[in-house]
Amino acid sequence: MTTATPEAIVRIKGLKKSFGSLEVLKGVDLEVTKGEVVVILGPSGSGKSTLLRCVNRLEEPTGGEVWFEDVMVNAPKTDINRVRERIGMVFQSFNLFPHLTAKGNVMLAQRLVLKRSKEETERIAVEQLTRVGLADKIDNYPAQLSGGQQQRVAIARSLAMDPHVMLFDEVTSALDPELVRGVLDVMKLLAKGGMTMLVVTHEMGFARDVADRVIFMDDGVIVEQGSPGQVFDNPRHERTQDFLGYIS
Amino acid sequence: MEALLQWWETNAITRLFFSFEVIAGAIPVILRAFPVSITFGLGSFIFGIPIGLALAFLKMSKSRWLRWPATMYVDFIRGTPLFLQVLVVYFGLTLLPAYQDLIKAYPWMKQPFLFGIDFTVYLRGFFVLSLNSSAYMAEIFRAGIQSIHRGQMEAARSLGMTIPKAMFFVIIPQTVRRILPTMTSEFILLFKDTALLAAVGINEMTQRARQFAAGEFNMSPYVVAAAFYLLLTIPLGRLVARLEEKLAESEGGSTAGRPSPIVNRVRPGDSA
Repeated sequence: MTTATPEAIVRIKGLKKSFGSLEVLKGVDLEVTKGEVVVILGPSGSGKSTLLRCVNRLEEPTGGEVWFEDVMVNAPKTDINRVRERIGMVFQSFNLFPHLTAKGNVMLAQRLVLKRSKEETERIAVEQLTRVGLADKIDNYPAQLSGGQQQRVAIARSLAMDPHVMLFDEVTSALDPELVRGVLDVMKLLAKGGMTMLVVTHEMGFARDVADRVIFMDDGVIVEQGSPGQVFDNPRHERTQDFLGYIS
Repeated sequence: MEALLQWWETNAITRLFFSFEVIAGAIPVILRAFPVSITFGLGSFIFGIPIGLALAFLKMSKSRWLRWPATMYVDFIRGTPLFLQVLVVYFGLTLLPAYQDLIKAYPWMKQPFLFGIDFTVYLRGFFVLSLNSSAYMAEIFRAGIQSIHRGQMEAARSLGMTIPKAMFFVIIPQTVRRILPTMTSEFILLFKDTALLAAVGINEMTQRARQFAAGEFNMSPYVVAAAFYLLLTIPLGRLVARLEEKLAESEGGSTAGRPSPIVNRVRPGDSA
């Protein structure tokens, strides 16, 4: 059971998830090591978002095990809030809190969850917003920001919690094409800085440039995985070939 | 001019409904009852909020044992006339042993408290009106909370917030903004409903007007009372319209939350 490599930060074993009679994940095994950037590709409905959402238990797995560091995420006794403090998540629809400024968004959970002092919270908020290139927008409300800026605030909000792993769920899919770049640049910077990242995306360029490992999912299972070169240039499975042929 | 005045005070309709003489006499009497009506409206509104919020959460509960009683309560209150509720609760309360013990323990409750009305009258008036209003508020709160995009709760939870923290700091603040117009409408309705307290003899505006009208065999005091109600309801009605406009603007400008208008409350039997 516990034969994982010591540096594995996320371990998924035989993960299954059904919504009613619809089986979305049909047994997924995946290990993510510290500092690794794993990009998950696949057609819509293949279960990639659900896989991501099972990691921090936004979806309750119906079978299998999800481990984060030394905690079994889907064990009933696990204090899920403790786990989520250390797992950052960024959503397709940003989900910024519209009643708070950019700074307020980054500050809220630091105060409520990590119980940091007001001064420290504020310092970190400014620091993180500067890091994502929004030093001049800290007092703006989400409605006053472009989609790309909102998404960068959402990334800063997650980073402020000092996560050990970051989950990105199609974070550029809702953006206008000219705004995608700014968000991807921030993510590249994060990857270079050694952040462990699990990324669901349709940005093939990003996957090729940044990923340490590319995973192709279809119909609730991992069909193929390997280095970007391997998966993109020499896909072994027909389904991967079809998907990549269709996309590019 | 004098002839016109003469005609005004003798013509059947103007004399009966708009007599200057009677109006002049009624204004100070009803003016004194104006704060009484406001107190009952405002007090019941304030007490109704926590009850309504509790009912809303019960109605959204996963447990049917919490959901059903709350649903039944809301259906019962909204499906029966307030007039009936006033009669049952206002007099019914006085017959409860617990109520009688309370009065015995605190005799000051029977003394004049505010505007010459004793505390027990306020207590019972607030009780019935806030029980009634809370049922309507429960629906406003529930619709408001459920109108907040699911992603807001997910974002808050994925940052490690507990459900109560997420509710209090993320969901409720957004709900408040969204239900402000509807809640103001609710207050207008509640304020008008205080008139039903006349049925149990509370000296609010309608009761005062009724007494004055009976003494004069003239309807003009009712017109005075109506004017006083309008003094509050018309500006508040304008405020609702402005709040709704502002809300529509801010929600339209945001790309995150999806706007979902909450339908203004219509009481059963309100519309013709």
